[in-house]
Formats: sequence, structure tokens, C-alpha cells
Amino acid sequence: MSKEKPFPEYKRKLGPGWWLANSHFTQYMIREWTSFFVAVFSLIYIYELSLFASGARADALNLLKNPGVIAFNVLALLFTLYHAFTWFYLIGKVQPIKMGKTTSKPWQALLVNIVLLLIVSFAVIEILVLR
Amino acid sequence: MSQDIATIRVTRYRPEKDGKPYFQDYKVPYRKDMVVLDALNYIKAHLDGTLTYRWSCRMGVCGSCGANVDGVPKLTCASFLHEFKGRTIKVEPLTHFPVIKDLVVNMDDFMHKLVEIKPWIIREKESPPEEGEYRQSAEELERYDQFSSCINCMLCYSACPVYGLNEKFLGPAATALAYRYIEDSRDQGKAVRFPIVHEIEGVWECTLVGECSVVCPKGVDPMLAIQKTKILGATNALKSLVMPRGGGK
Repeated sequence: MSKEKPFPEYKRKLGPGWWLANSHFTQYMIREWTSFFVAVFSLIYIYELSLFASGARADALNLLKNPGVIAFNVLALLFTLYHAFTWFYLIGKVQPIKMGKTTSKPWQALLVNIVLLLIVSFAVIEILVLR
Repeated sequence: MSQDIATIRVTRYRPEKDGKPYFQDYKVPYRKDMVVLDALNYIKAHLDGTLTYRWSCRMGVCGSCGANVDGVPKLTCASFLHEFKGRTIKVEPLTHFPVIKDLVVNMDDFMHKLVEIKPWIIREKESPPEEGEYRQSAEELERYDQFSSCINCMLCYSACPVYGLNEKFLGPAATALAYRYIEDSRDQGKAVRFPIVHEIEGVWECTLVGECSVVCPKGVDPMLAIQKTKILGATNALKSLVMPRGGGK
């Protein structure tokens, strides 16, 4: 028997604006875009390190003080925090912890991870920067 | 009982006549207890007998009547008309599936995926019936219970942009069902199912959008099943690396 269908089926393709159709999709895509900011931040950071390593300390400091670089760093920080917080929340959804008869909620994982992030961040600043 | 009028904007596609789908509006009188499926049945009975759609149980059990209602994948039998009061209600076929006619989509790809994950209990050796049933504790049941509530309505596939971009992706419901058997203490088919769910287009294609779990009408969390399957796979791979002689079993 022929497998050919008597009439054509209509196949739809996902358009480029699919992520605007739903607020969850938009939030997801913003999280995906954070990788762009992290990548550019890393490139700037590596370049700064190379300036320090080659002895061009003044150029490196000038780059650090550049308003454009500062603005970009603030933006990159906001995107990175957005990424971190949404992932912390997802950890709670993906790995709920059973405690007796109750199971942990995603917001609890978010809270615990934010506290841990703050502790580690302050420890790094204290040990590597302030000392 | 008083009746309001709802405007239902339905996708029409008659492959023998139409090159592509278009919308057709219908005015449907409704009461507070009527759902979108009732409106479609009213259209079919009183306004346009050519309208084609799937339905069966009318009570959220069979999973046949899924459609995009106002852009969101829903069971039409569980979407009340009064919730859309004052708005035109757009009813479209489930996204990402080829349309056969009007609201009817081709389910072949989903059906193949369901069969592919072998949705039955696999035993290395079957016990004779006189030895009785395979016993299971309440805790063992709880590990997979929610994943056995899937009604194969395909709403999760319609909500998943990853499936929309790559139809080879195993997808939410099939993975949730695979995980249901992987976690079943009576099942011994891990070695058979793991290679299927851990293919490139298996669980690793999922990028954690999470909309599959939002739209599920039965409270199943396919996103959780997919991530748990990833964790199991990664743990197994690590065990195989550390203990090559049977560590990854």
C-alpha cells in the first residue's frame, strides 16, 4: 500500500519571534543571552590581565576606569545575577530535597543559594582584595 | 439561565481546497458551565458541520481535545468560555505538529517516540504467576507516581520550543514516561532505555525552558523527569569511568 498521503499536511515552522509569544519564553531567552555578556566580560578581563602581565600597568588601569567598560561591567553583573538567580530557582525545581514528610520548595533553594553566594563573594573580597 | 455570546476564532484548513490555514469566526451562545469543547460541538452541530477536531471523554482523562486556546496549549474540555469573557477566543491546532485538517494534527511522530522508549515493565526473567505480583512499597511507588499520570495529550510538545526547532528531540512526555519506568522498582530495563534517552536528541537536547511542566493538565513535571534522567546518566557515566567493571550499572 502506498504511504503517500491523499492530501498535503500543513507544516508550520517556528518563526524568529517565537520567544516573544510568552513571558516564560522571553525570560528563558534573556537567561540564554547572558552568555554573550559573560563571554565579552571574559575577553575584556583577559586583555586587562595581558596588559598587567606585559607591564603596561597604566593602560590597564585606564581601561578599568573607562566609563564604557564600567557601564558594560555593571550590565554584565546584572545579567549574570539574573542568570544565577533563575538557575538557583531551577535547582530547587530539579533537585527538591526531602525532609521527613515535606519536600523543599524552589524559593528555598533560591534563598539558600543567594546566602551561599553572598558568603563566598565576601570571603573572596576579604581574602583576595582587602588583605 | 442567562446566555452570553462568545466569538470563537477557529483555524480552518481543508487540504483538498486550501493552500494554507485561515481563521473563521463563529458566534456561540454559552452558559457559565460551558467549555471551549462545548463551543466547538455547538459549531459542528448548528453552524458548520465541516469543522473537524478530536475529542472523546469531555473530562480531562483521554487527552484527545488538546488545542492552542488563546495561544496556550490546553485541553479544550477544561477551558471555560467565561474565562475569556469579552474577548475573541482563538482556537488553533497544537503547535509544532503538521495539520491534517482544521484542528486535527498528525500524531505519528509522538506515537513513534512513545513506543521507542518501551513503555512497559521489562524483566530480565519473568516470575511465574503463581509466585504472585511484584511487590512495591509506598515509597517506591512515590518515586515515579506523578509521571504515570500522563494522558498523552501532547500539550507539552506543543509548548516546547526545542521540539519546535528539532523534531528529532525525544521530548517531554516520552522522557517522563521513560523515567517513570526507570524509577519503577519492578522494572529491570535500564540498560535498554538508557541508550535511547541519552542519545544526543534525547534528554541532552533539553535546554530547560520548563514550559512543558507549566502546561501539563495532569500536574506531571516532565522538566523534572528530563533533568533527573540527565543526573542518572551523568552519575552512571562517572561510575563507569571510576569503576569500569560494572560501576555504571
